[in-house]
Amino acid sequence: MEEKRTSKQCGGVLPFFIGVLASLIVGWWVFPQVIYSQKTQPVDFSHKVHVEDEGMDCESCHMFLEDGSFAGLPSNEQCAECHEDILGETEAEEIYVTEYLQKGVEVPWLVYQYQPDNVYFSHKAHEGYECTDCHPDVGNSDTLPTYYENRISGYSKQTMKMWQCERCHAEVGTSNACYVCHK
Amino acid sequence: MGIDRRTFIQVVTGGVVGSLFTPVIWKSLDDASIWSQNWPWIPRLKYGTITEQASVAKFGAAPCAEIVKSVGGSPYLTRGNAENEMSKGGVDPVSASGPQLMYSPSRVNGPMKKTAEGKYESISWEEAEKILSEKLAAVKGRKGKLAVVSGDATGTATEVLSGFAAGMGAECYLMPSDEQSAAVALSSMGGKGQIGYDLENSDFVLFVGADAMDSWGSVVRNQCIYAESRPTGEEIKTTYLYAGPFQNSTAAAADRWIPVAPGTGAIFCLGLAYHMLKAGASASASDFADFKTLVMSRFSPDKVEKATGVAGTDMAAIAKRIMKSSAPVVVAGSEFAQGVGAADVIAASAVNMLLGRINKEGGMKILPELPKAVEAAAGRSELAAKDFVGYLAGIASGKVAAPAVMMSYEANPIYALPQNTALAQAVEKSGFLVSFSTYMDETASKADLIMPNPTCYERFEDAQTPYGVGSAMLAASAPVAEPLYNSKATVDVVLGVASVLGIDLGYESADEVYQAKAEKAGADWDSLIEGAAYVSDSTESGSIKFAASVLSKAVTMPKGGEIALAPYSKLIIGTPTVAIPPLNVVAISKFELMGKDLMVQVNSKTAKKLGVSEGSKVKLAGAGGECAVRIHINEGVMNDVIAAPLGFGHTAWDAYSSGKGENISKLLTVGTESGTGISVWTSSFVSIA
Repeated sequence: MEEKRTSKQCGGVLPFFIGVLASLIVGWWVFPQVIYSQKTQPVDFSHKVHVEDEGMDCESCHMFLEDGSFAGLPSNEQCAECHEDILGETEAEEIYVTEYLQKGVEVPWLVYQYQPDNVYFSHKAHEGYECTDCHPDVGNSDTLPTYYENRISGYSKQTMKMWQCERCHAEVGTSNACYVCHK
Repeated sequence: MGIDRRTFIQVVTGGVVGSLFTPVIWKSLDDASIWSQNWPWIPRLKYGTITEQASVAKFGAAPCAEIVKSVGGSPYLTRGNAENEMSKGGVDPVSASGPQLMYSPSRVNGPMKKTAEGKYESISWEEAEKILSEKLAAVKGRKGKLAVVSGDATGTATEVLSGFAAGMGAECYLMPSDEQSAAVALSSMGGKGQIGYDLENSDFVLFVGADAMDSWGSVVRNQCIYAESRPTGEEIKTTYLYAGPFQNSTAAAADRWIPVAPGTGAIFCLGLAYHMLKAGASASASDFADFKTLVMSRFSPDKVEKATGVAGTDMAAIAKRIMKSSAPVVVAGSEFAQGVGAADVIAASAVNMLLGRINKEGGMKILPELPKAVEAAAGRSELAAKDFVGYLAGIASGKVAAPAVMMSYEANPIYALPQNTALAQAVEKSGFLVSFSTYMDETASKADLIMPNPTCYERFEDAQTPYGVGSAMLAASAPVAEPLYNSKATVDVVLGVASVLGIDLGYESADEVYQAKAEKAGADWDSLIEGAAYVSDSTESGSIKFAASVLSKAVTMPKGGEIALAPYSKLIIGTPTVAIPPLNVVAISKFELMGKDLMVQVNSKTAKKLGVSEGSKVKLAGAGGECAVRIHINEGVMNDVIAAPLGFGHTAWDAYSSGKGENISKLLTVGTESGTGISVWTSSFVSIA
């Protein structure tokens, strides 16, 4: 009886719901922000300058190699075809040329869709899809999106999860057998 | 409203219940499970641009022209270079492991010196070169005080070492191989140059001892030629016979295996010559009459049968079959690519002479040596003919003084020499042992100074006319990758030290040497490093003789009645220089290695005679040592013969090879061949306990 009185004094079941509410706020609003750290790319690369001003297309840098493998991001060797010396007046280009190209250091780009080593993803097998079905649409952007890195797993926020791969495979009738992606 | 204990519990309970309806727990669990993929000790794949570059691999016993695939500048895969004639697009089991060997746990990470406590201490290259220069300065010009040994018979690097040794007033040797016997044989026959065999244009090949599919000559090239001559579903172009004591890879691939006792290859060839001479064969050589008299008097069918085990009628049939062929060739060598006498090669050459097959398409060729890049260096055949085993046997017996300094390049003499216990001790008697090994092998483990050479993927490299090929040729390569560790090309080290000691070798860097070699050979350097081989069709024009006087002294009939050892060498078990590559461990037969026990093979008749059965643990004792082994019964072994694989019993290297089986080299007995004076060890006998 004594304890019931005490409970009423504190608002009955209200504390319980306060706890629920606080938890929901933390879980749906705070946690998603805290779980990821925000990183910026080492060089503020502008796709817009290259696509609109220089008339390049996606395949100029992100191309398939002769053996069908995907080149991914361009290396210094490719960039040096144009940027052996500083061409423009932007700070980003100056940083790239002086800090990376001239020092022979590859740019440690942060890959938004980086997959674990145990996943074998073939771009050639997915050639029929639009790049933007999986990747952020950066082709006409002057800046690069912020990179969100999961503080626990170390992966990018945009790294595709296995259920996403499986769902798409199921929808288009592609096998979901383990060996299709895990060699 | 105060907060008491009950209120607090209610809030917490509410928080916990609420959290079940948020992603906190579920997302955290999921991320934690994925986090386990990123533990720092888990190896990570390297991503980057995938590139291909031609290279010349020196991991195997013979050079192998490859295409190396790299990702982000790191080699990860290799395949044969079909555009290069040297290995005809094939890749051998050791070279196939090249990228793996580049990242081997046995690699020496940088120069090291042995401390007074016997441990190794990392030092700078400047200090290592200073130590080496000081040691060499003390012995410069003093005969017998410096010895240099190279395990690379085909590289211009060995020319640099040879030239340096000459400038120092010292001797340079090659590790033992079939090439040594061939060089001495050709010299005895009055020829100059290098013996080769045009296997691809032959229609009948008889291998005597020479295990062409696993150890003789350029194995990968031999295999490709074999495959080309016997296309699946099409007509067979070349017939192969193998004569030897054990049904090895060559015998298994041949149309017929002729069991011939170990160490009797020369007698077998002269037995064939008997039937050919009887059938009227002749050759225009100055000592033909002496040769004919020798063969007809000492190698009659009954004597040959007693020595080799091949019946006279069978010998006659084989001789008749060879003479019927339009382009036959006879190739003699050791069953394990070392230790055979010059007499075997002379006897096989004599058969080729009787068949009229010298410098003919599909026959035995006498190839010119490519011009030297380093003038002071010994010529290829001169260098090959030097007897390193004989030199060490002299040290072991006390007849020759041990050198004050010994330099070992691409060689592992402490592991790979015959009568291993005694000769390894002879190497260790050197006052100061310098190893240029890429790996912490048995020799490096005993060295006073280790100056690691980068792998062939990380340095300039070349290869000229591997022993056994039918044309003089040259291949070269530029580095495929940046050096993984703090290594330095031995050629650069030697050029630097030579400069300090006032020895002018004519070059300042390794790439200059290799380019000069290509230029002098008449090859285009750019084409070479892009993957093409330079091939010359020329042959030496001088005639050769039968060397009947040498044969008369060198070929003696065996006593018989003993158990002979027939060692064999398989590329998957490594080479005298490179231990078992990690990738190959799973390919080793349980009939060769059972757990950590070495398996040797005998047939059931011999097993019964010895009182052993399948799996018996026995001790083999030879003149030079003992080995604990297990018995495997195999009817593919001759009577009174024990076949045993080389390549096991490493005490250095890594988990993939160390402590596995026994080193059969301990059982080999080194003798001296009468008539030539070179060391031989194909006739080794063992007892069993």
